[in-house]
Amino acid sequence: MSVRERLTQVVAIDGLPVAAGLVLATVFFTMTSPFFLTQENIANLLTQSIFIIILAAGMTFVLIVGGFDLSVGAATGLSAATTMLVLMNDGPLPLAVLVGVGTGMIFGIINGFVIAVMEINAFIVTLATLSIGAGALQVLTNSTQLTGVASPAFAWLTKGSILGIPSGVVITLIIVAVLEWVLLFTTFGRRVFAVGTNPRAAFLAGVSVRRLTFSVYLLSGTIAGLAGVLLASHLNSVQPGLGQGYELSAIAAAVLGGVSLAGGRGSVWRAVIGALFLATMAQGLQLIGVDPLWFSIVTGASIVIAVAFDRAVQKWVIKQLAAATRKRDVPAETDDLSSVSPAVPSTSGTRSSVRNTI
Amino acid sequence: MKPTSAPSPRFTRLMANPSSGAIFLLVILIVVMSVAFPNFFTAINASNVSNQMVFVLLLAIGMTVVLITGGIDLSVGSVMGLSAGVGAYLITGGAPLILGLVATMAAGAFLGLVNGLMITRLGLPDFIATLAMLGVARGALFLWTGGIPIIGYMLPEYYVISGLAQPFGFITVPILIAIVAVVIVAVVLKYTSYGRHAYGLGSNPHAAVLSGVPVARVKVIAYMISGLMAGVAGMIMAGRNTTVAPTMGLGYEVAAIAAAIIGGAALGGGRGTAFGAVIGALVLSLTANAINIAGVSSSWQQIVTGGVLLLAVLFDRMSSLIRARSVRLTMRLAHA
Repeated sequence: MSVRERLTQVVAIDGLPVAAGLVLATVFFTMTSPFFLTQENIANLLTQSIFIIILAAGMTFVLIVGGFDLSVGAATGLSAATTMLVLMNDGPLPLAVLVGVGTGMIFGIINGFVIAVMEINAFIVTLATLSIGAGALQVLTNSTQLTGVASPAFAWLTKGSILGIPSGVVITLIIVAVLEWVLLFTTFGRRVFAVGTNPRAAFLAGVSVRRLTFSVYLLSGTIAGLAGVLLASHLNSVQPGLGQGYELSAIAAAVLGGVSLAGGRGSVWRAVIGALFLATMAQGLQLIGVDPLWFSIVTGASIVIAVAFDRAVQKWVIKQLAAATRKRDVPAETDDLSSVSPAVPSTSGTRSSVRNTI
Repeated sequence: MKPTSAPSPRFTRLMANPSSGAIFLLVILIVVMSVAFPNFFTAINASNVSNQMVFVLLLAIGMTVVLITGGIDLSVGSVMGLSAGVGAYLITGGAPLILGLVATMAAGAFLGLVNGLMITRLGLPDFIATLAMLGVARGALFLWTGGIPIIGYMLPEYYVISGLAQPFGFITVPILIAIVAVVIVAVVLKYTSYGRHAYGLGSNPHAAVLSGVPVARVKVIAYMISGLMAGVAGMIMAGRNTTVAPTMGLGYEVAAIAAAIIGGAALGGGRGTAFGAVIGALVLSLTANAINIAGVSSSWQQIVTGGVLLLAVLFDRMSSLIRARSVRLTMRLAHA
């Protein structure tokens, strides 16, 4: 797949547009509002965006493998609830954290099992678990008031400070750094890219596509659990509907950062930049007096623009490559990314159908 | 090679019929509920269920068409809310009822058109385009209403249209609308070239392009049908609730997809019928009704819908494995 290789190289500048956007937005808001570039506002902005950053980092793995996880928002909300539940019943803090992360892991295990082993469309499975998670949160919060835990250690998780930096931000930095390291410098990370680029080739090269797909969803669920614990610490109360729509923001962040929906491309820092961009827009627009309700529209629109842009760039690159090939060799048929992608033949038995893209 | 026992042709045919599982499930559900709860199998409850299922049914019909073409529409819940908002706003502002209702449906179809164009013109994956629309339409409704429900549009005729007033007894206007919608979509799918194009596109997009199917148009129309159905459902729900809350229709996409899949529509495209969507919607609504009658908190509803969706896709997967196996067996026997 030399075209693909070249393509990956050419589009390796991914993430630059949104990084530029982030800088531009920061400059713009600094000039229009005197309150934007204050230490307090920046700390505030970072603390509020850590949840989406964490989720986007986990989502990156799923997207690179060519999958999709809609359940992260619901998993975050439910994990926050279970964490609070343990703390309110005077459970020790480590147990509460464990239960919260475990709740996310359960989502990951269910998603991973049904998607990887039963080979069912990732999209529908995670939509179903989203519904189950949101419903479970509703049931939990209906019966008990999940609020007001007087545990200084728990509050410190997000509200403390390490060397003047909010502790939630430090924890997020650590999570992001570890995930990026895993993605770029471990066998697991290499395999994630391999499966995302070409699952069949990866399978033939000895990667257990099934196991890898499972682990990626497990990772995403676990990350969502972590985000839930931090969210509970940040809010110190859990309402029904908590985490609703976080999946949209996380996907938007990753896609804005140039993580490809088709799989095989992306990195954690780009997703983080995407999340920061979204958070800056949200905070900045609010500071200059735009209704915060606009935010959901901005998120949705930015997904469309980012994906359409990504597609246009890929199309252009392929055209350039085809032109270059034509100049060199005899006239060759060009690879065309026209509106219809040929259906993946669903021959039973091939593992390639694990990768449930559209 | 010794031929293993071949499945009887009747069994194969039964398994090959995508709705047979759903019908089976339906029968079990009805029998169990009738035995367990005496007030389940009553005329009043039947009327309740059928009035409640109209929303999911309408959305599921539209979703089925989209699924047949190989797409998916995540935006139906939000589109339903936003188009209901458009109609309610117009009527509150003094527009005649009929204009408000037409505007509601037109808004739905328009949002469907936008979905279709994003997918065919911009080349976005179906679920991304409609996921974005889910966020944008919901955000637009919130922004527009400022989080406050729209009220004051309930003209007397609206009570009849939404089924709150029942001048014809059990058969309410929404039920009639749903029946008409089912019949129209069923006829279109079965007897028109559009229907054949839709199935062709879903079964094998490449072959469809090569045989001259206007692929983009077929897709756009499918999303418009889905949007239109969401608009109709929104119109009825606005009347039923007597207010348009900014959260109207939230999460309905899960129910719609679940109903369509239970009814035999396949995620991969090329499979599904309007009749199947009815069965699927019936299964979901009866489950909801059962929860209600059993006295379980309605908060469980969402969990059950999600669980049913998960079971439906698992069942679909199993039955397609069985189907593939029986086809292989039949072929092996034919060769023997």
